[in-house]
Amino acid sequence: MAGGGSLGGGSRPKRGKNKKRKQAKRVGFHLDMTPLVDITFLLLTFFMFTTTLTQPSIMDMRLPPELDTPVDVKESELFSLLIAEDGQIYFYQAQEDAAVVPMSDLKAMAVNLNLEVKNRLITVLKSHPKAPYGTLVNVLDELNLAEQRIVKELVKENDPETGLPMQRSRKFTMAKWTEDDQKKIDEAGGGSTAGEGEES
Amino acid sequence: MAKVKVKRAGFVIDMTPLVDITFLLLTFFMFTAKFKSEAESEQTFIIERPTASADTAKLPEAQLAVIKVAFADTTQRDTSYYLEMLNANEWAEVKNNMLSKDQAFADRMDKAQMPLNSSEELATAIGEIRRVNPDTEFAIDADQDVDFAWVFEAMDLLRRNLFTEFSFVTDKRTGQSE
Repeated sequence: MAGGGSLGGGSRPKRGKNKKRKQAKRVGFHLDMTPLVDITFLLLTFFMFTTTLTQPSIMDMRLPPELDTPVDVKESELFSLLIAEDGQIYFYQAQEDAAVVPMSDLKAMAVNLNLEVKNRLITVLKSHPKAPYGTLVNVLDELNLAEQRIVKELVKENDPETGLPMQRSRKFTMAKWTEDDQKKIDEAGGGSTAGEGEES
Repeated sequence: MAKVKVKRAGFVIDMTPLVDITFLLLTFFMFTAKFKSEAESEQTFIIERPTASADTAKLPEAQLAVIKVAFADTTQRDTSYYLEMLNANEWAEVKNNMLSKDQAFADRMDKAQMPLNSSEELATAIGEIRRVNPDTEFAIDADQDVDFAWVFEAMDLLRRNLFTEFSFVTDKRTGQSE
């Protein structure tokens, strides 16, 4: 009895002591996050490797439909661009001689010509069958960039007929490479030797 | 002394910030993930697209037919056409129509990205697409080093089938202002 009493008496303060200690220490509970992290990293790497972040963009192309009736065009309003076999770009207006134009000048040239002959300039692009396709896209890109500037300049003026700001109508076509084009380039002075000057 | 040894609490790293960041990244990648299509995964060639900066439009998702012009191998000599349509039903119909015209397509029927051996085959395919769905949007996805003649042939065939509006697939040019 006495022993039990002493035991009980002993246990009570002990319990109190325990309680006190618990309160003082207050161990925050730990969650083992390792498996969670494992799985999360696994998924993360999976998604990182399977995603294709760079989506391709597109360049719109609009070709005039094939017409049986030839359209009469003033020669002075014709701006021809030739891409030679080596990737060099040549240009000529009307029936003039062809001359090399570097890719960096193409945009400025297109802007100037289009503003000179407002809305009536027809750009004809021809590419040698052996020329790399990338060059053609670069040329088209320059022309598209020029378009933004042309529109910006054109709307500043008013259409003499309607009095409204001038609308841009773009005239562009692509044509098949002919012998005459090759002749023109040959006459321009054998640009094939300077083929390395082409920039990308 | 002995008591201290027994205690020896193993050290704990607080992984909470790590988990936070990881989950953040995980959700980001999960939502942006766009999986490769079946056709892309069976593609054996790589197309190095030309770069352009003026256009920012993305490829349309529906009704798209892609004509790929690529080098069949790494020697860059053997160019060929590949055709792919995103709408599986229409594509199956087109393929069946092509098969009924020419038995040469029989061994390629199961391919989502069908290799075409000649421009005549491409012409047949475009004609069939015209018949199945005239509203199909075409895109030409060509390697920047292929000869222009291949692309021109494809353009000409498209034009003859009255698909006068189509697009070139390009990659965004980086590092240029304006």
